Order: sequence, then C-alpha cells, then structure tokens
Amino acid sequence: MIDAVGATRNVTRRAESVRRPQGSRRWWRALGPSRARLTGWKFAAPGVLLIVLVMGFPLAYAIALALSSMTLLHPHLAPFAGLDNFAAAVADPFFWNSLRITVAYSLFTVAAEYVLGLVVALGLNKVVRLKPVYFAILTVPMAMSPVSVGLVWHMLLQPNLGIINHVLSNLGLGGVNWLGSTRLAFWAVAGVDVWQQVSFVILILAAGLASLPKEPYEAAAIDGATSWQQFRYLTLPMLRPVSAITIIIQLINEFRTYDLVYVLTRGGPGVSTDILSYFAYRRAFLGLALNEGAAISFVLLLIVLGLTAAFFAVTTRRS
Amino acid sequence: MRANALLLGTACAVLLGTAPAWAEPITLHALMEDVPETTIIEAMLPEFQKETGINVEFQKLVYSDMHDKLVTQLTGPESYYNLLEVDFLWAGEFPAAGWLADLQPFVDKSKFNLQPFIPAMLDLVGRYKGGLYMIPMYNYSMGLIYRTDLLKDAKLPPTLGDYVELVKSMKAKAGVAGAAMQSQRGDPNSMEFSNFLFASGGRYLDDNGKVALDSPEARTALKLYVDAVQHGAQEGALSATLDDTLRLMCDDKAFSMVTYWWMLPQLDDAKKCPSVAGKVALSVMPGGHGESGGWGWGIPKNESPELQQAAWTFIEWVQSKKVEVARALQGHAPVRSDVFEAPEVLAKYPYYKAAEAVVASGMAFPVFAYSAQYEDVLGTQLSLAAAGQTSVDAAIKAAAAGLENLKKKAE
Repeated sequence: MIDAVGATRNVTRRAESVRRPQGSRRWWRALGPSRARLTGWKFAAPGVLLIVLVMGFPLAYAIALALSSMTLLHPHLAPFAGLDNFAAAVADPFFWNSLRITVAYSLFTVAAEYVLGLVVALGLNKVVRLKPVYFAILTVPMAMSPVSVGLVWHMLLQPNLGIINHVLSNLGLGGVNWLGSTRLAFWAVAGVDVWQQVSFVILILAAGLASLPKEPYEAAAIDGATSWQQFRYLTLPMLRPVSAITIIIQLINEFRTYDLVYVLTRGGPGVSTDILSYFAYRRAFLGLALNEGAAISFVLLLIVLGLTAAFFAVTTRRS
Repeated sequence: MRANALLLGTACAVLLGTAPAWAEPITLHALMEDVPETTIIEAMLPEFQKETGINVEFQKLVYSDMHDKLVTQLTGPESYYNLLEVDFLWAGEFPAAGWLADLQPFVDKSKFNLQPFIPAMLDLVGRYKGGLYMIPMYNYSMGLIYRTDLLKDAKLPPTLGDYVELVKSMKAKAGVAGAAMQSQRGDPNSMEFSNFLFASGGRYLDDNGKVALDSPEARTALKLYVDAVQHGAQEGALSATLDDTLRLMCDDKAFSMVTYWWMLPQLDDAKKCPSVAGKVALSVMPGGHGESGGWGWGIPKNESPELQQAAWTFIEWVQSKKVEVARALQGHAPVRSDVFEAPEVLAKYPYYKAAEAVVASGMAFPVFAYSAQYEDVLGTQLSLAAAGQTSVDAAIKAAAAGLENLKKKAE
C-alpha cells in the first residue's frame, strides 16, 4: 500500500517536473511560445510601423481634425469641438444632395464598369491571337492620371469646338450640350469615369476567367448545357470571389472620385455633379474649414466601410 | 616646399569647398497665373537677372488651381514660393491669416514711391486694415468687348436690358452666339454676374459695409443674366470658363463677351486671332459700371529675410515706371496712372483711354477673409438659377444670406 502510494507520489512529482521546468533552461522553455510571438512581432515590426505611419497617423490626425476647431485662419486643434463639425456639415442642405449624387454616381459607374468589363473579358477569354496587344491597349486609360483624362475629355466634349459634337453635326445629329446641361452633365462625367476605370475591371475579370478550371465546362458540355447555361451556372458562380473583390475596389474608388468632377464641371451646372468629395474640398479649401472638410471625409469613409462590410457579408453568405 | 604645397592645396580645397555656399545665386519661385501678363514679365526676367544676379522662376497654372496650391504652401513652416502673385479676392484672406509680410518697412527702406499707383488699385490689392501687404501688379477690370463689324453702324445700347436684347437678337439672326459667357459655377460666373449687378445699379455691400444684395436691382440683374445665358449665350455656357470664351471670340463664333479688358489686345492680334483682329472694340459695361479686379505682389511671412529682400528687389524692379511702360507696350494692364498716360503707350494702344475708363468706373466684389468661399456660395446660386433649378428670388435671397453669414464669420 505504502509502495503504491510512494509510486503514485513519484509519478506525480515526475509529472509536475515536466509541467514546471526548473532553473533557467526550464524558465526559457516555459516562455517558449511567447518568445516565438515576440520574434514574430520583431519580424513584422517594420511593416506594422510603416502601416501606422502611412495610414494610422493620417487617419488619427483626420479624426483629431474632424473633432477640432482648426481652420486655416485658426491653425490650432484646440478647443475641442466635439461633433459640431459633423452637425454643421449635415445641416447644410447641399450635403444631402451631394450624398445622394455620390451614391447614385458610384452605383451607376460600378455597375456599368462591371457589366462592360465582364462582356469584354469574356470576349478576350476566347481570343487567341494578339492577346498581349489588346491588353496593352487596355492599360492605356488606366495609366493616365484622372486630371489628364478630364482635360482631354473636356476638350472632346466642348459643345462648340469639340470633336464629338463636330462629328455628330456632320452626321446630321446636331450638337449635344454634354457638360452644360443639368440633365446630361452627371451622365457625361460618369461616362468618362467608366471609360477610364473599365480597363481595370476587364484586366481583373480576364485574369479571373483564365484561372477557372476547365473540367466543369467539359462535363457541362457532355451533359448538353448551352453556352448561356454554362455562363449562368458555372462561370458566374465560380467568378464570384473575383467579382466581389473587383466590385468592392471599384466602389471604394468611385466613392472617392474627385479629380474628374473638379476638371470637368466643378460640381455644376447647379449642383448636378456636386459629389461628396468635392463638397468636402470646397469646405476645406474655399471655406478654409479644414475641420469641416475632415468631418465630411470621415462621413465618406464610414459610408465606404459600411458598404464594403455589407457587400462582404452578402457575398460570403452566398458562397 | 612640400609643406607649402600641402598648405596651398588645403587652402584651395577649403575655398573650392566653400565657394558654392557663398556663390550660389538666389532663386525666387513664383506661382503665376497662365495669362499674357505672366508671359510678358517672363520674357523680361533675363534683364532682371542681369541687373541684380537674382534668378526668378515662374510656375504657371490656371487660375482655378492657384488658391489651393498657395494655401497649402503658406500654411507650412516654409513656402516653396517666395514671391507671391495675389488675386484681389484673396487680399483679405491672406493678410487675415497672417501669411503675408508687411511691405511698408521695405517701401520705407528703399524709398519706393507709391504716389503714381492708382489709389483704387492700392486700396483693392495693396492695403488691408491699415497695413500694406501687396503692391499692385496689374488690373483686370471688366468691360464689354464686342465685334464692330457685326454691329455695323448701330451703337452699343446704353442699358444692360437693351444689351441682353441685342445679344439674343444676334444669336437668332447673326449666326453667332450673342455673348460668349463664362458661366461655370464658382469664380467664372461670380465675376461675370458682378458686372450685371453693378450695371443694374445693385451692390453687394452698402457704404457702411452692410449686405445690400437682397434688392430689386439684384433681382433685375439676375433675371437678365439668366436670360442671357439661356437665350443669348453659346451652347454649354454653364460649363464654360474664360479660356472657352476667348476661343469662341477668337474663332469668330460670338458677337460679344463681358470680360477682362486686357483680352482685347489678344483678340486684336492678327497672328493669334486672324478672323476677328481689327474688328473688336472695348467699352465700359452698358449701365456704366463693371467689375473691378487686380493682382498684387506679396512676400510670404514664412521666408528668410534674405529671400524676402530679394523678393522686394524684384517687386521694386517690375513695378518701376520704366519696366511697367515696357510691359504696357506689350499689352500689360497698368496699375500706375503715369503708365496709362505715357505718350508711347497711348500712341501704340489708343484704346488704353477706354481701358482707363473701364478701370475708373469699376466696382469691387466684397474683399474679406472668406471672399473665395463667397464666390462658391454665390456661384452655386447663380448656376442653379441659370439652369432653371431655382427661382431668381430664391437665389438672390440665398446669396445675400450666404454673404451675411460669411461676413459674420469673418468678424
């Protein structure tokens, strides 16, 4: 009995000695996983630091600005303004107009870019010859700065001396008041935007299509599926992750659009193209109110984050 | 011997090493509007460099982009631009923000004579709350430029209402736009409308500085402005800027334009505008008053004393009578009365007499810390009214309320 108890104690001690390391070696061993974590952090530190400096600091500064009294005439963060700047922005009747236009603009341009991009990408997927040439041509609008694109299109769309109206007139169709009409300016700016951004969508979707497996298509063909059925039940579902990422990236891009509106219309005629980023710019630089500009930008950021989260949630659930 | 050679070598090395530090010439950087005035001065810069050893570099930009670029530089600890071209619309904002150096000490030290400068110009784009922060550079008062050949023997109508009727009839019958209008929202339409307002007898502020825009005269002005945009102007006027209107006039596609008077020499140049050269004339705005405007030279506060002194040397040179006359002979819009009246200038450009009348009859847009924002507020209402998205009455009420709010904010 005594032996049995002693044996049990010995086993327990051995087990404890395994659990509790003794001396400096045992202490290091106990901290093993933490050290690994520390080493991991050391490796990640330069990247994390860079992200904090490049993204975290400006974001924190923007939040501080949005909650401060800083204007260009009063260049100090103090006194703390709380949510006053947000309230001032929201109280402006043109804010809601800008928000409405921004949402409509983003949804329209992203939808148009996706549909057009998919059609062209599907076409390119079947092309065998001169593929690199097509891709090279497609990257040209993407490589141009939005300001250059705006200036070029401003000249093309000029109602009296522009090439587009010249061609239309020669065809007997008459000139169109592209940027000076409240009905058309929105669509003209959106059209220019789609022209520039669709290349990106085409390239991403084309890459996505090229990476799809061939076997499901072969099986579907044997089962007698038509081209439309293959597209509807194979291509679209398999392309969903790529489509989701493309749409999110473009949605973020479009919500931030500023340059084209600045060059083409300055938010006019009236307030027909006065998107939210241009509204924020006017508050910050013409109104000298950096704090209000920052507050409006923050509202824009929250909307984009909300939309992105919602879109992710929907696509993930469906997947 | 070897020690001497070593010493000599060391001395040479030290001298060579330090030479660039004291031999490096000063370079002034200025952000300039891309207009003929800038080109005229730019061509004369080698002369200044030869006289003083100071280099001057111009970075040219369209007007609409200048304000933001300057503001971002001036709010920093040091400005890349050490010589400033300041529009009269910012002549309240920049000194109020403390971005400009007081020029009075420079004037006193160099005994620079301010007497010949047109007093209205010094008030518009020189003094602010008793201090001297700018020296006038050129004026851009606005008047009416029109085609004499299309008007034939008829005379320009004396009132704004008659002018708008003429513009509409030109568009209907002469096969050209009655007026090339720069009605893009913001600075272009605010400046253009100001002429309509002053020509109708309206004011932004009364003599005591109180807002006076909400008036029957202002409503008449806006009604006529909207009528001109919708029925007398070129297609797309609501998105047009100064450049668009100049191209239209130059291309024989418009009868008239309410614009800066110094556009006349450009349109009258047979090399630049062969279709219309010799067929254009300048007049004071029908109704008797147009918009006053001008640019001034300023020196940023956040610059070293050496660079500030170099900038002053340039200002003193470029606004001297000798240089201003030379500039005027190439189409410069003077700010000194002795240049306007110089015989050689009048001999070359007889219409400088009309220009002097335009400058003399000009009235100013409100100059205060939020002038740039007010242009945006007013421009939005004008654009909404001209596009038919709001009524004349509502637009004037909103524009007057906007001015009231910004004036209060500035105080």
